[in-house]
Amino acid sequence: MTTVENEKPRYKYIGSDRKRVEDPRLLVGRGGYIADLKFPGLLHAAILRSPVPHATIRSIDATEALKLPGVVAVVTGEDCKAHMNPCMNFGPSSIPQFPLAVDKVRYVGEAVAAVIAESRYIAEDAVELLEVEFEDLPAVTNPVAAMEPGAALLHDGHGSNIGYERTFEFGDVAGAISGADLVVEDTLHWGRSAGMPMETSGAVARPGLNGVLEIYCNSLNFSYFSFLIAGALKLPSNRLTMNPVPAGGSFGSKFTAHKVPTLAGFLALRTGRPVSYVEDRLDHLMNSDHHASDRYYDAKMGFTSEGIITGLDVDVVDDYGAYMQFGVGTHGNAFSQIVGPYGFRNVKYHLRAVLTNKCQQGAYRGFGSEVHNWVLERLIDKAAVELGLKPEEIRRRNFITNDQFPYKIPGGNVYDSGNYPAVLDKALGMIDLEHWRSEQKRLREEEGRYIGIGLATTQERSVFSATEFWALNDNPDFPLTSSPESATVTIDPAGQFQLLLHCQSMWGNSPETVGTTVLAEEFGIEPETVNVRYADTARALPGTGPGGSRYTVMLAGAVRGASRKLQRKLIDIAAHSLEVAAEDLELVDARVQVKGAPEKSLSLPELASTAYFFALNMPPGMESGLEESYTYDHPYTTLPSADRSDLGVFYPIMGHACHIAVMEVDPDTGTTKFLDYVAVHDAGTMVNPKSLGGHVTGGAAQGLGSTLYEELAYDDEGQFKSSTFMDYLVPTANEVPPFRIGHVETPSPFTEYGIKGGGEGGRMVTPSVVSAAIDDALREYGMRVRELPVKPATIVATVQAAIAESSK
Amino acid sequence: MKPPKFMYCDPDTVEDAIALKSRYGHDSLVLAGGQSLMPMLNMRLANPDVLIDINGISDLKRITRTGEVLEIGAGVRQSELETDAAVADAVPLLGKVVPYIGHIENRHRGTVGGSLAHADAAAELPCAAITLDATVVVQGPSGRREIAARDFFEGFMTNACAPDELVVAVRFPVASAASGSAFVEVARREGDFALAAAAAVAEVGTDGRFTALSIGVAGIAATPVRATVVEEALVGQAATAENIAAAAKRIADRVTAGDDLHATGTYRKHLAATVVKRAVVAAVADAQNRSNGS
Repeated sequence: MTTVENEKPRYKYIGSDRKRVEDPRLLVGRGGYIADLKFPGLLHAAILRSPVPHATIRSIDATEALKLPGVVAVVTGEDCKAHMNPCMNFGPSSIPQFPLAVDKVRYVGEAVAAVIAESRYIAEDAVELLEVEFEDLPAVTNPVAAMEPGAALLHDGHGSNIGYERTFEFGDVAGAISGADLVVEDTLHWGRSAGMPMETSGAVARPGLNGVLEIYCNSLNFSYFSFLIAGALKLPSNRLTMNPVPAGGSFGSKFTAHKVPTLAGFLALRTGRPVSYVEDRLDHLMNSDHHASDRYYDAKMGFTSEGIITGLDVDVVDDYGAYMQFGVGTHGNAFSQIVGPYGFRNVKYHLRAVLTNKCQQGAYRGFGSEVHNWVLERLIDKAAVELGLKPEEIRRRNFITNDQFPYKIPGGNVYDSGNYPAVLDKALGMIDLEHWRSEQKRLREEEGRYIGIGLATTQERSVFSATEFWALNDNPDFPLTSSPESATVTIDPAGQFQLLLHCQSMWGNSPETVGTTVLAEEFGIEPETVNVRYADTARALPGTGPGGSRYTVMLAGAVRGASRKLQRKLIDIAAHSLEVAAEDLELVDARVQVKGAPEKSLSLPELASTAYFFALNMPPGMESGLEESYTYDHPYTTLPSADRSDLGVFYPIMGHACHIAVMEVDPDTGTTKFLDYVAVHDAGTMVNPKSLGGHVTGGAAQGLGSTLYEELAYDDEGQFKSSTFMDYLVPTANEVPPFRIGHVETPSPFTEYGIKGGGEGGRMVTPSVVSAAIDDALREYGMRVRELPVKPATIVATVQAAIAESSK
Repeated sequence: MKPPKFMYCDPDTVEDAIALKSRYGHDSLVLAGGQSLMPMLNMRLANPDVLIDINGISDLKRITRTGEVLEIGAGVRQSELETDAAVADAVPLLGKVVPYIGHIENRHRGTVGGSLAHADAAAELPCAAITLDATVVVQGPSGRREIAARDFFEGFMTNACAPDELVVAVRFPVASAASGSAFVEVARREGDFALAAAAAVAEVGTDGRFTALSIGVAGIAATPVRATVVEEALVGQAATAENIAAAAKRIADRVTAGDDLHATGTYRKHLAATVVKRAVVAAVADAQNRSNGS
């Protein structure tokens, strides 16, 4: 079972294991998810998805579908073209996208038409009656072939299948490589996977009063961009209200998931009635906004004979799929921690983002940084073997040292703080590697069993700045620099707390636990007594929403800011009532008391009562009521340089982790099992070790999925092979080992309480550590994991090839 | 993922169910535990006019031992085979096979007859049935007939039932006291369909030679297959690990399953030999343990 070893807390509430305040309602089935939402006269939409990867839509005949009793309307890309603007898009404007395909389809599963009916059953019956004439175009499925002249174009208006190409070089990479004592090279492929929440994306839209369209959805971040959805729907921004509905998991899949609410909104506008569109599992697997990175690497790294890294040269082709809705943000993530925790200064990164007839990419826990980290760690492990160094030793020799923080990395991002040797030492202290190394030898010799040890580290960037969205582009359309988060704290007339969050942040993480814990710390109340609500966009203050492991840090900043304003008011009221100078008062355990004379005090209910009902007892001119809001913006960001030789500070709140896995590999079946697994993370000051441990466990489980099981596969003809959970294998409790978790706390100097984000680190390191353990177990057969997921067939093929070779 | 429209019938007796099958034939499907059929309906891979739900037929839910035959009703839930003492006593292999069927939740719903009728070549019960020389009892308008398991599985998800017949039971010969049994399966994840699996029942004489051996293999062809080539190579030979390993390699020729998302054909050939070898070795060890009274 998971064990958590944490340091002594320095706060009363922050840093203690607490049960999540979100859990009681979820555990009794009262989560209130999107599929639970019912309105009178609600209609249901089902989508016809393209069965072909690339084709012109010649015609769509809805005659028979419309005859089916209960069918209300059929909406197609022609309607989108006539009545909508393209969807919001952070990629090139020459690659527009609508929620239903316009003129042609570009991947298997792309939405072609929506049927709106009295029930989802009828809608699905009618989808089968739609007749679409496709004229096939050549399928572009290989990203390298896609770049060749003469390849069929996905987007004629873009003129090329290369969505983005650029080389970034920081330092002198040619010199670093040519001067190295050892250069290791590898060709690596990180395959496509995606977050698989139990609840898919969904939205309910209804025409409301005053010409306002209401959209209820489980997408995140929309208080940041609802005006863009309004723009796509050709509505004035104040005529769209988006209402947050708790999300049953996201892991990135609901991050900025704009097409589902945009489509639901469009269908409600076309029919004038409330419409629900909730993805089913087939919709989600083949058309989720968020298939994740699918990258092919040629990478090399130089080392001195002592194992010191001299430089890194990366050539990456990313198989982006048919659209580029988030631009190349997943590579911005790689730049945020491009050297990992290591001190080398020379990096070259040649990126080609290629358009193919596959689903578009989006967000998945790690957002692309986990892929780069896997490449880094693969190369370092290869060098360690060649240099005869233990994996912990080569890493230790390259760590950025504690006296170097804040540390500006090649490319411009800054690491705020860190103590990498402490994390490594803690991990090594939790597992007896010498025992396992002798056991490895003994089991091999005495029992013919193969066990391997993997050790890997990762940086865990957190708290993105908005500059990341555009810093890789020379001429961004909208070079924004704000990524704020807001909170409103209200003490009601009886002294009870309401906390209003200004974005949809409930996605299976713990925003309410974080917010109420901070309030508890600030006021001395119990977290469970606070009621938490979410603002709709008509009310919401600036908010960006969760993503990039930012929310805990940003929410803590916002709640603390609002709390400070409220504390000042409480003290001023108390000072007036008690006839004591404000500076002689303090707020302790939900009372305002005289310093040194705590018997002279007023409770929060007494002060609240005054604030609401006894204006004559308040300081003259003070406003009635007890409500304060605060908008906290990014604590530390800078602009990129004009020539992009420096990308600026955009992801500086830097966590770190080290995992060690002991695995057994069966060379005759290719199956693997864990014998032990240790995960140590440093996420700065911990708010709640229990929920942070949950993040580590869940992230590591998903990393394991991407490493051994999960694959969104297309065949050479562009057919999608992973459309059910019989094909797309999510690891279950049977496959996920009990991770033994430890924590180190190196506070950030830039955030409130020193908190760092910790939502993604698990997935950022498991792929590296599992790859390393498999290699180590089968080293005598030359095993080297070069492609994820690594399947049993690949392992057995490697072993059999080595046996055949040695018997020649 | 909503099923298309169908008519739903829930007969109380086998006779009523057969009357419905006779009437609707190919346009009907039988709903037992629903662990395969319900997803197929929801994904519209199955589109029956009539769904005949046999869950209410209590006659199909009996386990009876008559002499040297254990008869298991088609409606018996798979999980019962894991816990039923009569089953453990009569046919020990079943208790070793059943835990590999899906997850416990699936086995609480999934039925013995449903799994046999579904005839998935990678499924565990069809593999056990051919290994144990079971007979499948089917009933139609003209009465009952018995079909040997090795004739029952005709091809990819096809069985020897006529459109108006219903699988009502399966009969297993009671295992010899001298035999040992084992089941070995490799799947991508626990509970997934087998990439390859092997069941083995072995008897070894006092001279250490195989006196009887039957081996069934799942996941390698359009139907579960008996590894007769391996059986023939080993019966009469010493039950040594070396002999077993050498003979097990012969199964590779019977592997016709090619490349798919989860495995390659080449891998399956190696894996088939591996699971056959391991199942036979384990069955031999089990036989020795049983004869030692442990």
